[in-house]
Amino acid sequence: MQRYKRAALIGATAVCALIAGKAQSQDKPPLVIGLTSDASGQYANSGAEERRGVEMAIAEFNAKGGVLGRDISTIHIDTETTPATGSRVAERMIARDKVAFLIGGVSSGVANAISQVAQKYGVIYLNTNSSSPSEAGENCHRVKFVWDGNGVNFSQAAVKSAMEAYGPKWMQITNDYVWGHDTSAATKKLIEGYGGNVIEDILVPQGTRDFSSVLIKVQQINPSVIAAAVGGDDLKALRAQVSDLKMGSKYAWINNQQDWADVYGLPKESLFGVFGTTWYYKLDLPGVADFVKRYQEMYPDTSMKVPGNVFFNGYWATRSLLEAVEKAGTTNSHAVIKELEQLRIPAETRMQHHDAFMNPDTHQMQQTIYLATANLDNDDPDDLFKIVSSAAPDTVMDKGSVEACKLESFEDTPVYEP
Amino acid sequence: MDFLLPHILNGLALGLLFALIALGFTLIVGVMEVINLAHGSLFAFGAYVAMVIIAEGHGEGISALSWYYELPLWTRYLSALVIAPIVVALLGFGLEFCLRRTYGKKKEYGLLLTFGAALVIEESIRLVWGSAEQTLTVPSAISGAFIAGDMIYSIYRIYAALFAAAAIGLVWLFLEKTPYGAMVKAGAHDGEMVRALGINLSRLQLLIFGLGSALAALAGIILTPIWGLRPHVGVDVVIPAFLIVVLGGIGSFWGAVIGGLLVGMTVAMTGAFASDWSIMSMYLLLIVVLTLRARGLFGKKTALES
Repeated sequence: MQRYKRAALIGATAVCALIAGKAQSQDKPPLVIGLTSDASGQYANSGAEERRGVEMAIAEFNAKGGVLGRDISTIHIDTETTPATGSRVAERMIARDKVAFLIGGVSSGVANAISQVAQKYGVIYLNTNSSSPSEAGENCHRVKFVWDGNGVNFSQAAVKSAMEAYGPKWMQITNDYVWGHDTSAATKKLIEGYGGNVIEDILVPQGTRDFSSVLIKVQQINPSVIAAAVGGDDLKALRAQVSDLKMGSKYAWINNQQDWADVYGLPKESLFGVFGTTWYYKLDLPGVADFVKRYQEMYPDTSMKVPGNVFFNGYWATRSLLEAVEKAGTTNSHAVIKELEQLRIPAETRMQHHDAFMNPDTHQMQQTIYLATANLDNDDPDDLFKIVSSAAPDTVMDKGSVEACKLESFEDTPVYEP
Repeated sequence: MDFLLPHILNGLALGLLFALIALGFTLIVGVMEVINLAHGSLFAFGAYVAMVIIAEGHGEGISALSWYYELPLWTRYLSALVIAPIVVALLGFGLEFCLRRTYGKKKEYGLLLTFGAALVIEESIRLVWGSAEQTLTVPSAISGAFIAGDMIYSIYRIYAALFAAAAIGLVWLFLEKTPYGAMVKAGAHDGEMVRALGINLSRLQLLIFGLGSALAALAGIILTPIWGLRPHVGVDVVIPAFLIVVLGGIGSFWGAVIGGLLVGMTVAMTGAFASDWSIMSMYLLLIVVLTLRARGLFGKKTALES
């Protein structure tokens, strides 16, 4: 009987605490987060995936009473994979909608545009998924935090071993925009650093749908290795055409990161070469299965049955930001920035093989970089990747970004306290 | 020459594919003087319908149709080549019916209506099939590659180019050798005179819009195994189609074909030797041609110029 009384007491206390917490959170205005992700254009799919990640992290916080007693809500405006739209959306969200933070970015050009506006107002901006080295290099900002691995991190993980395995005669195929150029330049530097040479760098404009001329040229040049820095829909077209010509197995391809949204649903045979990723839903690590289950419970109707790296980045960026707000005990931007600059996440919490940490000099998350190939060992259509290696953050660090990044001082960064 | 030859052949193949894209567009703009901005969405819709008909990984759950899913892939593929254009033609009929209210009014009304239709079709595709990348499966006999000399060639690309050439030939035969073709050409030349001769112009316009839509669908089925299939794939189509039609001369059948070939050759050559200019090159080509001949290569004076 005594046991039941005690249980009832604990239950009543918990209910009261919940009600009190709820009442408190209802008293305070909600914390509005502006989602600056693409819903159209080249990165529409990735934009949707990262939004799901952000929303799941927010739902988890709201379930335990929000942050600092405030509910968290979101507004989303399509940034259209266009830098000018990104700028306009950021301006509107800050000036008119009074958002507390900005989260979202796949295209480096768009992320750069958003971060310039954010810096002007002192609003913290999380670049969740764009992986141009310049984002944490020459385009870094005090208010911006970059959560994806960048082109240099992935190249560091891949170039040396490919050089040893396949030879020094390299060819590059580069998307003609900021991410492509930055990634390609970084890869070239590494290739030359390891004694190889780039005999041809083919620039392909964004929006290229026919790669036949490029693939004929690849055959005429016959390189040892092809390093492709092509993204979004362009990569999908390239992939389909390489697969059709059976050139995926004839040449050694080093692709940069393959975002989950870009490959999910495709036949495994169309994935070719070696490519990078920051996370995979079948990593044999504690917490991964539960994370996947939570995703599936929250998004039972989505056509993407399992989460990918883009979702993962959206989730962790948001969760880490909200934890930093809680830790700082305020939404004051300078205080939260200082918390984020000291961020360290143990491997077992982050579900990666190595501890992750925020580089305070570049504001880029330093994390495990995985290399993968197509998984042709089973018929599970969701199990697309076979992880072939994992590299610790310090072995793939982008030292160029550290040199190039000049963060604004706190004095030059406006204080913003929503 | 050994270095150039593969690029020239590739340019020809690409040109035929571009011509196929523009074929439906030129029919509609030629006869009805409507710039059909929904052409790209009809292209995408046709490919999605074909994907369902081919049913490779789609729709097998319907037990009543289990006999159909057991048919060989070739049979389902050929069915898709026939049925998907018909389905899209029906949608085209519906669109033309909506367009009727804009006839005789400012051209912008038709333009806006087809633009709106393009958005509706694209979003409908997204709602039904999701926004993720899809695959349009083709029979193994027309996929894969073969080696000639030191080069690998795509069997599917050769098939697609031959298919485009055949489609162009069939449309030409329809226009030149059938009474309906004669009416279409007469309608393109002078609609009022056609009406005065007792021909039902409304029915002719309906037929043309349906045919143009079916050709867009056909182009979608042929092109998407190369370009990939996603709801917004139509955006990649409508601009080249418009460009080719203007380049070749609005309403000119051979203008669209030659325009497509020229654009294909230009894109292929710049893709090989100045690849960062490959998309820009088609616009530069358009500027050069229109500077020398404002009506395009084979264009005649149309109501669009008035």
